[in-house]
Amino acid sequence: MSEAYIFDALRTPRGRGKTSGALYEVKPIDLLATTLTALKERNQIPTQEVDDVLIGCVTPIDDQGYNIAKAGLLHADWAESVGGMQINRYCASGLEAVNLAASKVRSGWESLIVAGGIESMSRVPIGSDGGALMYDPELINSVKFVPQGIAADLIATIEDFDREILDEYALSSHQKAANAWEAGYFEGAIIPIFDRNGLPLLKQDEHIRPDTSLERLAQLTPSFSEMGEYGFDALAKQAFPMVSQVRHVHTAGNSCGIVDGAALLLIGNEQKAQELDLKARARIVAAANISVNPTIMLTGAAPASEKALRLAGMKKSDIDLWECNEAFASVVLKYQRDLDIDPDTLNVNGGAIAMGHPLGATGAILLGTLLDELERRDLQTGLVSLCVGGGMGVATIIERV
Amino acid sequence: MIKYKKDTDNIVTLILDMSHRNDNVINHEIGQAFLPVLKHLQQEKKKGTLRGIILTSAKKRFLAGGDLEYLYHAQDANEIFQFADGLKQFLRDLESPGVPVVAAINGDALGAGFELALGCHHRIVIDNPKIKVGLPEVRLGLIPGSGGIVRLMWLLGIERAFDILSSGLRYRPKDALRVGIIDELAKNQKEMMEKARHFLLHTREGRRPWDQEQGRIPGGTAKEPEMAKRIRILATQLAKETYRNYPAQQAILNILSEGSKVDFDTACRIGTRYYTQLVLSPACKNMIKAFWFDYKSIKEGEKRPKGFGRFRPRKVGIIGAGLMGSGIAYACLLNGLEVVIKDVSRLVAERGRMYAKERIQKALAQNTIAKEEAESMLARITTTEDPSEFESCDLVIEAVFENAQVKQKVTREAEAYMDDYSVLASNTVSIPITELAQNSLRPDHYVGLHFFHPADQVPLVEIVKGAKTSEETIARAFDFVNVIKKIPIVVKDDWGFYAARVQNTFILEGITLLQEGCPPALIENLSLQAGMPKGALSLADDLGLAMVLKYEHQAAAHYGNKYIQHPAVAVLQTMIDDLQRTGKFKKAGFYQYEEGKPPQFWQDLSDHYPLAKKSFQASEIIERLLIAQVIEAVWCLQENVIRSIPEANLGSIFGWGFPAFKGGVIQYIHDYGVDAFMKRCHQFKKKHGQRFSTPKKLRELIAKDLLD
Repeated sequence: MSEAYIFDALRTPRGRGKTSGALYEVKPIDLLATTLTALKERNQIPTQEVDDVLIGCVTPIDDQGYNIAKAGLLHADWAESVGGMQINRYCASGLEAVNLAASKVRSGWESLIVAGGIESMSRVPIGSDGGALMYDPELINSVKFVPQGIAADLIATIEDFDREILDEYALSSHQKAANAWEAGYFEGAIIPIFDRNGLPLLKQDEHIRPDTSLERLAQLTPSFSEMGEYGFDALAKQAFPMVSQVRHVHTAGNSCGIVDGAALLLIGNEQKAQELDLKARARIVAAANISVNPTIMLTGAAPASEKALRLAGMKKSDIDLWECNEAFASVVLKYQRDLDIDPDTLNVNGGAIAMGHPLGATGAILLGTLLDELERRDLQTGLVSLCVGGGMGVATIIERV
Repeated sequence: MIKYKKDTDNIVTLILDMSHRNDNVINHEIGQAFLPVLKHLQQEKKKGTLRGIILTSAKKRFLAGGDLEYLYHAQDANEIFQFADGLKQFLRDLESPGVPVVAAINGDALGAGFELALGCHHRIVIDNPKIKVGLPEVRLGLIPGSGGIVRLMWLLGIERAFDILSSGLRYRPKDALRVGIIDELAKNQKEMMEKARHFLLHTREGRRPWDQEQGRIPGGTAKEPEMAKRIRILATQLAKETYRNYPAQQAILNILSEGSKVDFDTACRIGTRYYTQLVLSPACKNMIKAFWFDYKSIKEGEKRPKGFGRFRPRKVGIIGAGLMGSGIAYACLLNGLEVVIKDVSRLVAERGRMYAKERIQKALAQNTIAKEEAESMLARITTTEDPSEFESCDLVIEAVFENAQVKQKVTREAEAYMDDYSVLASNTVSIPITELAQNSLRPDHYVGLHFFHPADQVPLVEIVKGAKTSEETIARAFDFVNVIKKIPIVVKDDWGFYAARVQNTFILEGITLLQEGCPPALIENLSLQAGMPKGALSLADDLGLAMVLKYEHQAAAHYGNKYIQHPAVAVLQTMIDDLQRTGKFKKAGFYQYEEGKPPQFWQDLSDHYPLAKKSFQASEIIERLLIAQVIEAVWCLQENVIRSIPEANLGSIFGWGFPAFKGGVIQYIHDYGVDAFMKRCHQFKKKHGQRFSTPKKLRELIAKDLLD
């Protein structure tokens, strides 16, 4: 069996996912094509050598519809022999694309794959693609499906995380991210975005607030209490009758930011590495996905991580650095508590609360960030995981080679 | 620069009056000049002492467009973007919710000038058919750069906006009202100002549709499936028409599609990015060079013989009421001239009147002329079989069929009645003027005026100077061509003059490819992709293979023992002599022609010209087809067949349809880069033959062309 290696990982800076965001004027295919072009040029790969391109995208309609992977490839003028596929595992789509690529490589059927994700949340808003799990009255009531913010508040309620501890976590995310930017930790991975004339549009993550404070965070109003009052709290309690009252503690400040962005990794086997003179940076050791209760929904990262560790025959103590997507502060805090992880090894350069969560791309971003940091610290192993809508969880373990 | 007047109703009139200029133009100054005015207006607005604003001009034109000289030389993307962005901001400040603004348009408002009008809440134009308004940027490979595209989309919807923007038409006030780009007509200046005041007194707030919560783009956005489907069709139609050679039209559609999905300001910014890209694009530079600089140089009479008074023809005689004669007559009628059409009988001559009638009826149906105008045009036609009717003509143009004896006979008949001052012209395509003028009574007044079919539409006329044609006659011919609003180029009395001679090299190159075993469909399709209006083989059939061969024989005679036979000659001889396939006229050429069916390649063509085993590279074929013409045009310059680069460029575009996005035959070399061009020709010479060797003086000849 051939191993699957990561040769490169890159991403765009993340723009605020609003009409005032720097990437709002950029078409999603432009974002994707920019990263594809950068990947091609950085690695000097003849594009016809690539077997497949797998792109995560969570709201694949309008400008992101009709298989944006193939559209982006054609827009970037890659060889017409290269195929592309868009996949959707909600927030873990970008990581799932990597895992799928690794599986294809390890099967021996394919040898060089581009995997990653794209999401222009300013252009194609979350939830605008409809869907039964979101809007079918029969289904949402039978599975007691609530918005993710309600689920995050439910976690906080059950785990007894108060507002202050969540805000403290959020503050640390901003501080770590700002520090990492300042220290240049992200530089190697960032592909700045220019307009069609080469004029700069965005060079740094736009959502990050280096100057935020606990006082400022405390002033923000809870985002999901109104929604809860509509009846979602009641629906959540029907699934979790032990809860007397859902406490609404998540705000715009301690939840992930809505942003635009794209990320890619280049994955392949050893033979291809030799042929194309690519340097393997890490080996994909194991990948896993699971699913948990759909109401509380966002607790899948820990069991997914445990499954991946089991598949790899590894212990938690074998992992040097951890990334868990900062969908909401309560998600990360529960993950850390469940797996009993040293906080100093988890999300060491901040995460989506500071820099934003471009749904389809985030999994790929996190894996790239983790690999860069392992190299910077000269550590060996890392684990990435994300909680996912519907109760799912996805995890990937890598090891530097 | 901007005069400020305020009346008792708190209505402010701003009068544009740029000092030291004939016209108000959009440049760096105007934004600066408006800054303090806008500030002052904002203060007035705050105080509640401003009811509305009337924007008008003290010049003959309301506001001319942008500064093309600046745009032609502009090389810095950031600078171009910032400039357009600044103007956009100014328009945004002007229209932003609050006080209503009326554009009182007293003269031409074109391009950026009309963008300013679009930035106002209401547009009133004096109903004078001489006034032209619109957004003609696309004709220079440009687009409105300051939000005009997005404003038009919000006012009229994606499809109507696309029609107006991609055609680049200039509208008379009535037509502008009909297509919806203005709101009102006024009889005169006084009524315009009254209507403007009336609008302001009855409008509380100036808020554009895009600044309204409930504002919607008429007909919907590109997100809506029906509109998305329409855009897909528009896109393919565009590709079909332009072969993607004209980036400005593509940009317009892109901006409308992308811009409809985002908010107004973002849409405008997307537009400005495309604008910047276009200003820097070769197609735009080439088109500005040809249609602005070259056009101006010709129209300003750079090559008109000096020292002769302006010729003001009133009455023009036409000999021959065929298609060409009728077309010339109609072109004269359109521009206020009287015409006398003569043919072998009055009945035959009446065909000229019928032609004019049909065209006039069409124009009436399309609303492009008024009824009175139509009547006056028809009243100016005389038909006759009697040459004495030419007595009072200032100019007589012979347009009978291509036979030297017949031509000489009819012109001599006419001459007998014409006065000493008048000019006699022949519309021959292939007989030397010197030969035709041999027996003329006044050979110094005899000139060639070579119109192109259809004569009332093709905007070019070759003025052919015979051996005895006087400079004064050339000057008069030049003035006449200007009167009928066409572009005069002066050419030497050599075979094929300029246009037909150069065009022939395109045809010959196409035939050569056939002989090499290139698939005929590839030749034809790549001709079109290259930007030529027709395939080389199809054009050969149209002209008749004998004519194509005749031009080449004339070339052979001209060069004598220096002549190297073109590889296409053998093919032409075989087609004509052995296969009796002489062209479309005989319904048998490279194509076969059947009634009611589109022409198809002759079914036996591949027996005679079997496909080669080698593969042909598309880009190389395209270059061969174009470079063959370019080299011939340079020979024409060297041999003084054509005397200036502007004439060579516009002559090529309008005379035989050399691609406009290349800026014409000589601009093609600048666009390619002289060194790269020479290198390519050298490669072609080695590979394809001597015809690709370049004239020695090429560099010297085209060096004069560089604009500072």
